[in-house]
Amino acid sequence: MRLKNTENRFGLISIFLHWLMALLIIGLLILGLYMVALPISHEKLKLYGWHKEYGLLALGLVAVRLLWRLINITPRLSLPLLEKIAARTVHWAFYFFMVAMPITGWLITSAAGLPASFFGLFVLPNLISPSEEQRLLFQQIHQWLGYGLIATIILHASAAFKHHFINKDDILKRMIS
Amino acid sequence: MIKMTASKWLIFLLILLVPSIVLASAAEWRMIPEESSITFTGIQNGAPASGSFKKFSSVINLDPAQLNDSKVRIVIDMNSVSTSFSDFAATLITADWFNTKLFPQAIFESKQFVKIGDNKYQGNGTLTIRGKTEPVSITFVTEALSKNKGRVKGSVTLKRTTFGIGQGEWADTDAVKDEVQVDFVITADKNASG
Repeated sequence: MRLKNTENRFGLISIFLHWLMALLIIGLLILGLYMVALPISHEKLKLYGWHKEYGLLALGLVAVRLLWRLINITPRLSLPLLEKIAARTVHWAFYFFMVAMPITGWLITSAAGLPASFFGLFVLPNLISPSEEQRLLFQQIHQWLGYGLIATIILHASAAFKHHFINKDDILKRMIS
Repeated sequence: MIKMTASKWLIFLLILLVPSIVLASAAEWRMIPEESSITFTGIQNGAPASGSFKKFSSVINLDPAQLNDSKVRIVIDMNSVSTSFSDFAATLITADWFNTKLFPQAIFESKQFVKIGDNKYQGNGTLTIRGKTEPVSITFVTEALSKNKGRVKGSVTLKRTTFGIGQGEWADTDAVKDEVQVDFVITADKNASG
């Protein structure tokens, strides 16, 4: 198996980044939904700390992934035009969410005046000055982006399973090996 | 009319005189609240979180020429804690943190001042928070803004657990560090006659 993508296959780096981010994003979504419902507690504060750190890690990884996608070829999708457009739209929607989620999260943290540390290495600068009004606004946006992302994941996974089990093609398989 | 004996008169006179004797020791400064601030910065999840106290009063008798007779007393209204994130301040006033219902005030008192540099002093005294009194030593710089107006700036790093700030699960210093830095700016003026 090669590192780089080819005309027909995904390379090891693309596959690794896909599944690493899938795990990270699903983890962040579950953590996010769980932590917001908790009453103020030591546990809640710790979980918020993790959510911020790993969310920032996701932002860093999406930059790597975008760069890799742009300097690498993307394997062709042998699908009818409409299906192809649908698939590509979902893929680019993921890039939108992967950038918008951490940025709005960072904006919430900035507006709250509670900056985040990146695994103790450095403290993130505030993007905007503290404001209760802005915090509530970005909180709403972050929340709805989260719901949108969940819906997109369900759509993407359903399509992958449909190709694997119904069409019996190699769409899902080529993201595994 | 109430009849007074000579000794009662003497006591009465003494009571009247005592405050003026105290006042005569070192120049009394009047704090200008709009130009004074007390802020604090703690570390949560490895990143700073700050707040301030909006209400506090000071009795300042400070005179570099009469350090031995100088004294400072600052009383902070703990309920006036303010943070940019409202939930943060709302948490701080609860029983686990400042417990402002039982301990509405924090008091800093110092009667011992040492000059440690140009316009730089150390004040040794006590700090009472959450009903617990601990010795504390603060360093500050003084700045004369005009003949009768001055500013004092300083800071002190406290350990919150010393005062029991953060009870139960919050006593753990992993998510919220023990050290809290307190910065203060106090601007005051005095009567030209004083």
